Amino acid sequence: MRRAQGTLQFTKQPYIEDVGPRKIESIQFSTFGESEILKAAEVEVHRGVYYDANKKPIEHGLLDPHMGPANKNGFCETCYGNFRECPGHYGYLTLALPVYNVGYLSTVVDILKCICKQCSRVLLGEKERLNFLKKMRNPRLETLKKSEQQKAVVKKCTALASSRKAATCSRCGYVNGMVKKGTKMLGIIHERTKVNDSFLNEYGSAISHTKESNTSNFNVPDEIDPKVVYSLLKRMLDEDCELLYLNDRPEKLMVSSIPVPPIAIRPSVIVDGGMQSNENDTTERLKRIIQANASLRQEISDTCLPTKSLNGWIDLQVEVAQYINSDVRGVPLSAPAAKPLSGFVQRLKGKQGRFRGNLSGKRVEYTGRTVISPDPNLKITEVAVPILMARILTYPERVSHHNIEKLRQCVRNGPNKYPGAKFIRQPDGTEISLMFSSRKRHADELKFGYIVDRHLEDGDIILFNRQPSLHRMSIMCHRARIMPWRTLRFNESVCNPYNADFDGDEMNMHVPQTEEARTEALLLMGVQNNLCTPKNGEILVASTQDFLTSSFLITRKDAFYDRASFSLMCSYMGDAMDQIDLPTPALIKPVELWTGKQLFNILLRPYAKMKVFLNLTVTEKNYVKSKETMCPNDGFVCFRNSELISGQLGKATLGNGNKDGLYSVLLRDYNLHAASACMNRLAKLSARWIGNHGFSIGIDDVQPPDHLISAKDEKICKGYSECDDLIEKYNKGELELQPGHDAALTLEAKITKVLNGIRENAAKECLNCLQWRNSPLIMSQCGSKGSPINISQMVACVGQQSVGGRRAPNGFIDRSLPHFPRKSKIPKARGFVANSFYSGLTATEFFFHTMGGREGLVDTAVKTADTGYMSRRLMKALEDLSIHYDNTVRNASSCIVQFVYGDDGMDPSQMEEKSGHPLNFDRLLMKVKATCPAGDQKSLSPSEIRQKTKERLSEHDMTPEGGCSEAFRDSLSKFIEDKCAKSLEETIEGLKPEGDLQGEDHENYLENISSNISGITSRQLEVFLRVCISRYHTKVIEAGTAIGAIGAQSIGEPGTQMTLKTFHFAGVASMNVTLGVPRIKEIINAAKKISTPIISAKLEDEYNPREASMSKARIEKTLLGQVAKSIKIVMSARLASIVITLDMDIIQASRLCTDAYRVKDSILQTPRIKLKEQHVKVLNPRKLEVVPQVDKSKLHFELHTLKNKLPTVIVTGINTIERVVINKDDKEEPARPKYRLFAEGTGLLGVMGTEGVNGYETTSNHIMEMQQTLGIEAARTSIIDEIKHTMSSHGMTIDIRHMMLLADLMTFKGEVLGITRHGVQKMKDSVLMLASFEKTADHLFNASVNGRDDKIEGVSECIIMGIPMQLGTGMLKVRQRMQQVKLNYGLDPIMS
Amino acid sequence: MADTLFQDIFTVQELDPGGKKFDKVHRIAAKSEQLDMYMHLDINTEIYPMRVGDKFLMGLASTLNLDGTPDSGYFMQGGRKSLADRYEYVMQGKLYKISEEKKKHRAEILASFGGLLMMLTGDLSVAAKFELDQRLFILIRKV
Repeated sequence: MRRAQGTLQFTKQPYIEDVGPRKIESIQFSTFGESEILKAAEVEVHRGVYYDANKKPIEHGLLDPHMGPANKNGFCETCYGNFRECPGHYGYLTLALPVYNVGYLSTVVDILKCICKQCSRVLLGEKERLNFLKKMRNPRLETLKKSEQQKAVVKKCTALASSRKAATCSRCGYVNGMVKKGTKMLGIIHERTKVNDSFLNEYGSAISHTKESNTSNFNVPDEIDPKVVYSLLKRMLDEDCELLYLNDRPEKLMVSSIPVPPIAIRPSVIVDGGMQSNENDTTERLKRIIQANASLRQEISDTCLPTKSLNGWIDLQVEVAQYINSDVRGVPLSAPAAKPLSGFVQRLKGKQGRFRGNLSGKRVEYTGRTVISPDPNLKITEVAVPILMARILTYPERVSHHNIEKLRQCVRNGPNKYPGAKFIRQPDGTEISLMFSSRKRHADELKFGYIVDRHLEDGDIILFNRQPSLHRMSIMCHRARIMPWRTLRFNESVCNPYNADFDGDEMNMHVPQTEEARTEALLLMGVQNNLCTPKNGEILVASTQDFLTSSFLITRKDAFYDRASFSLMCSYMGDAMDQIDLPTPALIKPVELWTGKQLFNILLRPYAKMKVFLNLTVTEKNYVKSKETMCPNDGFVCFRNSELISGQLGKATLGNGNKDGLYSVLLRDYNLHAASACMNRLAKLSARWIGNHGFSIGIDDVQPPDHLISAKDEKICKGYSECDDLIEKYNKGELELQPGHDAALTLEAKITKVLNGIRENAAKECLNCLQWRNSPLIMSQCGSKGSPINISQMVACVGQQSVGGRRAPNGFIDRSLPHFPRKSKIPKARGFVANSFYSGLTATEFFFHTMGGREGLVDTAVKTADTGYMSRRLMKALEDLSIHYDNTVRNASSCIVQFVYGDDGMDPSQMEEKSGHPLNFDRLLMKVKATCPAGDQKSLSPSEIRQKTKERLSEHDMTPEGGCSEAFRDSLSKFIEDKCAKSLEETIEGLKPEGDLQGEDHENYLENISSNISGITSRQLEVFLRVCISRYHTKVIEAGTAIGAIGAQSIGEPGTQMTLKTFHFAGVASMNVTLGVPRIKEIINAAKKISTPIISAKLEDEYNPREASMSKARIEKTLLGQVAKSIKIVMSARLASIVITLDMDIIQASRLCTDAYRVKDSILQTPRIKLKEQHVKVLNPRKLEVVPQVDKSKLHFELHTLKNKLPTVIVTGINTIERVVINKDDKEEPARPKYRLFAEGTGLLGVMGTEGVNGYETTSNHIMEMQQTLGIEAARTSIIDEIKHTMSSHGMTIDIRHMMLLADLMTFKGEVLGITRHGVQKMKDSVLMLASFEKTADHLFNASVNGRDDKIEGVSECIIMGIPMQLGTGMLKVRQRMQQVKLNYGLDPIMS
Repeated sequence: MADTLFQDIFTVQELDPGGKKFDKVHRIAAKSEQLDMYMHLDINTEIYPMRVGDKFLMGLASTLNLDGTPDSGYFMQGGRKSLADRYEYVMQGKLYKISEEKKKHRAEILASFGGLLMMLTGDLSVAAKFELDQRLFILIRKV
């Protein structure tokens, strides 16, 4: 019911141009001044009350109906809309006196620092001012540079004021003091106590006339009150504002009236059945402001002196400040309320705030969530949706000729019967609910073009997701299968990408609601399109757990099946609809028997017409390194033309996380359907087979046989006695020290080695004695679950428990537990668990085991938070990087980060080779040779091979212009040279008979054999080259790919998997390098100080150990105290001095080049020692004398301070380097070991310049130091190398392209920017993006002061505004060519 | 009358040279009498036991048809007369690799009979008769 009384009545409808849908292009930030507030406001609010007795909002109260209806029953007095329609209107509230806006307080302080406190002009000299102004007015200046300029101005002005403690204004002569923010209150302090000018004298003389005052002690009030500030700001010239990067009038930075926000954003909720109302925090804050304002006004009217009303003013200031930011500093602490009222800043910032909680992540409809469970009978692309969910989730399907009968039935069924529907929408917009109305009639009246919100049905597109969504495979698109019961079900093969298990995990599903969304989801997010991870191209969706176990058991060499069981197993793998050709049995006589391996031939290629020819070789876990296929353990898997030649299949072949397993090869050589069909077949086969076969674990699986127990006891006894020997040696001090270790550490290292040896030996023994049917053993061998360590812990011996990489620490004085004698170092007292889980742990062992276990738990708990934050930062920094159509990688503002992505423009998810090269030539060649048999064709000679290759490689599509990188061409030609031409030559050479008497016959079969072994026919070579080249060209990354986001996920996701190992030895023992998440964090943050900086230096003469230790001595910091025999004070009658005697033995032994003369030099160079040339005398090359020159009274003290100082004088070496260790590397050539140096500390430049060190090959792991010493490119390389090294030491491979991108992003501005809020701020200039990242309020306040114009182009901004972003499919727009309208301005033709 | 591609009498020298790994299948190492061939062969000993010192005649054929028509690849049931009749133990498989033994001037022929492997090492002249990816029948009869 609208009251139309207030609306304007037009005699004619006003003309409003129809411009079609509008799109937000940019946002302008500005300050909101008093006049704008008054203009926007509809009503003045001056009464701090809500409702009257009749529950009606009070006029001019906080819920005045002019600002919108307070609840559902009311109407707006401004627009006469009801609760749903009225958008809300502003009110205003005038303050008695101006106060500061806390958000702008620091800006106001900065302004005041720069202006004269009398005449409001900038303190800078005229010339300087003009200079800065000119720079500021440069139209090409970036915003970042502008704020830097502004900071420079502020700095200059503060320097003026603080250097002489006062700055005289060059224009009015007023003396300005230092300005700073009040510490204990919300205000600004202008410190003029030290300023001596007429004002002060005047004040002094004035005050001296009063009686009670004490003339010597008076204080000038140093706080400037807001009113003065207001008038100062008001008087500022526009030109000066420009200089200080103020976009608007600075007086707007003060609050003189407050806009009262519409009721819509501070809803009032009636509770207690209408008895009470619950007001929003903002409303309550406003109420307190009104109260404070009223009392201030009262105070002002009571007294005419403004100074008296200070108290009320301060209260008002505090209230206004808290209205904006409730945890502002400088507020007098009142009793903390139970729940503090939140201010505007609190509503915006933080994870639950408006930016991150509502704008960047929005709530959606059409979703579901329940517990998940496995179902191997589903395809990998399917997900089973319970009927209960399918009845609630709907999809709007448009009625057409094809589906009208189906939809009619749905409509008839209504919302409660399964294939039903909820609503019908007619083209004119009317919506009919099928809940109550006559469904039959609606079904009959259904017409083409209607939209029916029908229940979910089989084949519908569904997005399936599990948190934490660490990478893009955490949300994938499946097809629905509506099934009974209550869980969401999917094939176990898809557990891996979601990282799901079925111990109670829940997952979410979303139903896309338009055809476009469905298509995009299916093509971009479909499971079948995401079998490989873009992290490194490894396969992610693959068989797991039971599937591996059953494949392993089926393909055992002694698994034979007769006709009945073999046929049964063949029928397991399909849906009884597929054709299967039964092969010839492997054993024909004496009985027909098929082997399990033949079953896999069928699984890959069920019938002869199917054109899938798989070729691959993989080594499984149990492969003995010899003889390839003839491996006695049957560990070499070889498929030839889809026939399993040899090998027992396990995780390496069928599992995830590798690049040349069965599924990867199928996917690469054939297509995703081949791979997914194969996975489906295997899932079905194995689930059914293992259900019949049975696979379980029992107590007898972990019972050790007697001989194992005795062998283990013997091993433990031996180990214990070894440890006892070591401890005894240590106690006697006879232990031989390891380099860089002291005695205690050496002992620990040695004991640990012995104890680990015990566990390993026990494990070996244990695995040998288990029979093959042992279930844990089978699981560990095939890789489905568990490792040999787990088995031996159950059967033989749990082993040493460690806490923080060490044996169990002392929890009591000098001992770990009170069960042991003090200072005991025996294995038992330090956490060695000799028992197995089967035999049971003793009390102390159990306790040690829990210590180790807890460390793991704590570590994972801590790490998740750490890595989560790291991923978030990475994502924010990289989110808008994408590939453009010119192959460059650019950010949202089209700034180039890389010219070609990853130097070759390849898609990381498509890389076939382990180290990230596009193709695995070896495998391809094998495949080509197998699938394209030589037949009658003769093989080529080496020279013909070379000739043919050269011809093909010089064609257009192998040139850089044709889209092929040089690296690829070179690697291809090198491969053919090595593996085809050369190997053929070698074969021919090897087969050539010693004598030359053989005839033509022999020649013939020699050729035959050599071509059989390593020959290649012309056709094979042609096919090989063609396949290589065409496949290379399909692997080029697509334009529009959001490669930044993928990179961020690829680096962030492995972080969560990084296990305990936080340290690692850099080549030598005792030199620890930080690893794991902490190290990644250091690199990404571009930390100035890292925990373990290490410089690794190559030597000029790598093979000379003497040279190495000389260089070591030159680098390592050596103090005078370390080389002096004695430093003594010598007092005689004539003079007092300090005599230093050098210990030449030590100097010689550590190969230092120093003597008394050099020591003298270094003493003189030491800072803060205050000794001159004449004070230090060299007596002889090993003795010197220091005679300080001070007066007699202080002499004694001086001597003692010197005596304390002198031992710390650095004699030789670089003072930032604590320690240098020589590393001996004899892996390459055992006879001729190589030496290199590792220096702990910083000072790369010094090390590089040291004699004997090869400066070209000296690097540091400290990225900032690399940048300072060697430049930005070195820093980039260093970032890539360090991330790679850290990841690889945790056994993780990440495609180098991701790390390149990260390194490029961190360095593309010319300095190393960390992925922190400071770095990101410099990389991006979008306010909204920065506000949604960190420091929300600061960015918004600054943006409005600077009057920023924020373009909506980045990912964050587009999400906030709800606009499709300029990435991926949003990158291009389809434009339709419209028929141009011809306008005829001339006269109409008379005759047409 | 179809010819075998290769025929010789072997003597089992060793059982499971790499250690016993499987219950029903054993690998035998055998040496031939005539052509100085050396062979590793996996045999289902559950149904055809082999001991050290056993002598057997081993033949390799590309088809079991007596008239020499090439093997169709499909399995035909029924008690038709075939080459297998004269042998006790017959396996069907595929020759998947021919390689040279380095410097010894001998060739290795590798075949897989549904996962049961055979490695035949011998003179080059023997190897020349075989072709890669050839279907092979191994025929064994104790003598």
